[in-house]
Amino acid sequence: MKFSMKMKKQVFTSVLAVAVVFVSSAKMIDLVTEIPVPEISGTPVPIQLTNLEPLQQTAPVMQVPEGTVNLASGKPVTSSDDWPLIGDLEYITDGDKETGEGYYVELLPELQWVQIDLEAPSTIYGIWMWHFHAQRRAYHDVIIQVSDDPTFENGVTTVYNNDFDNSAGMGTGADLPYIETNFGKLVDARGVKGQYVRLYSDGNTTNDSNHYIEVEVFGATN
Amino acid sequence: MERESNVDGFFMNRRDFLKKSSVLGAAGLTLGTGVPKAKAAGPNDQIGVAVIGTGAQGTVLLNSLKNIPGLKFHALCDIWEYNLKKGMSALRGTGTRPNIYENFEEMLEKEKDVDAVIVATPDFWHAPHTVACLQAGKHVYCEKMMSNTLDGAKSMVKAARESGKLLQIGHQRRSNPRYRFVLDKFIKETPLAGRIVNVNGQWNRSLSKSQDITIRKASLLIPKEKLQQYGFQDMRQFLNWRWFKGLSGGPISDLGAHQIDVFNWFLDAVPTSVTASGGRDYFKDREHFDNVMSIFEYDTPEGTARAFYQVLTTTSAGGGYFERFMGTEGCIKISENPSFTKIYREPEVDMEKWKPILGKGLLRQDKATAPAAAAPSAGTIDVRESAPLAAYDIPVVLNKPAHQPHLENFFEAIRGDASLNCDGEHAYRDEFAIHHVNKSAEQNERVVLKPEDYEI
Repeated sequence: MKFSMKMKKQVFTSVLAVAVVFVSSAKMIDLVTEIPVPEISGTPVPIQLTNLEPLQQTAPVMQVPEGTVNLASGKPVTSSDDWPLIGDLEYITDGDKETGEGYYVELLPELQWVQIDLEAPSTIYGIWMWHFHAQRRAYHDVIIQVSDDPTFENGVTTVYNNDFDNSAGMGTGADLPYIETNFGKLVDARGVKGQYVRLYSDGNTTNDSNHYIEVEVFGATN
Repeated sequence: MERESNVDGFFMNRRDFLKKSSVLGAAGLTLGTGVPKAKAAGPNDQIGVAVIGTGAQGTVLLNSLKNIPGLKFHALCDIWEYNLKKGMSALRGTGTRPNIYENFEEMLEKEKDVDAVIVATPDFWHAPHTVACLQAGKHVYCEKMMSNTLDGAKSMVKAARESGKLLQIGHQRRSNPRYRFVLDKFIKETPLAGRIVNVNGQWNRSLSKSQDITIRKASLLIPKEKLQQYGFQDMRQFLNWRWFKGLSGGPISDLGAHQIDVFNWFLDAVPTSVTASGGRDYFKDREHFDNVMSIFEYDTPEGTARAFYQVLTTTSAGGGYFERFMGTEGCIKISENPSFTKIYREPEVDMEKWKPILGKGLLRQDKATAPAAAAPSAGTIDVRESAPLAAYDIPVVLNKPAHQPHLENFFEAIRGDASLNCDGEHAYRDEFAIHHVNKSAEQNERVVLKPEDYEI
């Protein structure tokens, strides 16, 4: 039987736009992407964090310049875990946001990162990510950085950091931990420039592994 | 990154696995030390462990097992390669590398250093797996329900008796420190609720959490011949065995078993009758009921107690999952989710009974129901309404994964340092009535359970 509450898919309609944007004069539009069907399974595990964001109930909203596209689509992904057993790093940019078995990549415990090479210097307005949404859980120390340096040793800009206790040792972040949902997490990257996007996490409230289903990086090639 | 290090490489070439994984050393490295000296453990005071069934629940257990010192993982067994990868992945970073098997008999034949087996397979496989392991001289931790049939459950108890090995059943609330604290302090030592006349409990699961599990990637599908070899008609049945008769007991046993076990445990009794109603009212294509409402009668030393339990799979209304013990002086509401746990006091109750407990900090009054907060403000009070009961929080929090204390208890018992919190003998009695719920609902009749019915 089909799930009667199935979400109406929202499709990003500007994928054919020319990837050159003039921010100062560009028309601003709502950033929209395909929202996967909600699908929760398994026994719930209580989330014992005191500073959680309220549960996301609808798709997040953000305005971006017209012509913004998902620069991460199909782009290569590397990771601090060079050999995930479950899933493949390619899943992260394959456009498939469904949850459950076969749709996520699982990385080693402790602080791990994945890195997307946009293959060209870019201006980034939004980063939309889904770690794992088949269960209500929150990932620890979610940090997102952008750089033109693939080693992230120079010219690093942090656009999101919810490591409230600096357990990752990369500085205390002001962003709040959040509960994973099918709506994903949309981060305002405020037009940061860079070719590489690196996302960190350090386990989650259910287990100590790290997971990714999809990461979209919305922007324009410089 | 080494792009050639594909995940499937492990199964095609295990030498590569050893070569590429920087954290791995010799097979089955110890996860930790510092536990009491083993009485029944293997060499080097470690307990050799194997896991049969490394799917969703098996992985949950592995994520607890890897936190327990003194275990040595020898083997993982599952018929689905993907599940074996999940099991291996759960153990990554621990410096351990168990052998993998599809066939449990082969595993038992080859893995001579295994002391204890964790069984987390679908319910209809519990008895065959457990009995074989016990007969092979292994201690067994088996997930609940013991079996989808009473005969299966009986065979497990008999095998444990005959082998002399330990059999722990996965009713993990029995080892949850908050549950044990409430039972010891507020039911046995100072019965804060007074005489418990009624109990209710529920597990209401929303529609979005009750959907079929599906696999859409063709590369992950198991060949039909292999599925049928292991008792599944097809992939849908393999993934959703909980909905099928012959493979499970349906939601009343899948979810309800945990909570009805708590009814029995806290009341220190087993039901004398079961009356139930249920239906396939939404999921028409499921063999088991998608909602069940049941009434259990108990003969307790204090008199009759009547308990209501419902499991619903189309709504989360009513606050998820909890058990509530309603007495003449108050009410104890408890759940695996600490936020659902409260103790309520009837207003006319003599506070003398409560003062020592509050004085010791064993309970904390919920600020929202404290006298100052509850004082009426200007306006009209409808005297027909009962005032909200004073509510208290329990300052005991489980700071480990939910299943870990129960697994720890199992291994402590193997070492001779503890008794099992839920051995097969007790679990059989606790699950006995649950086997009659679907029958009562199907036949629309009350089922009377006599003391002798519980005997094996």
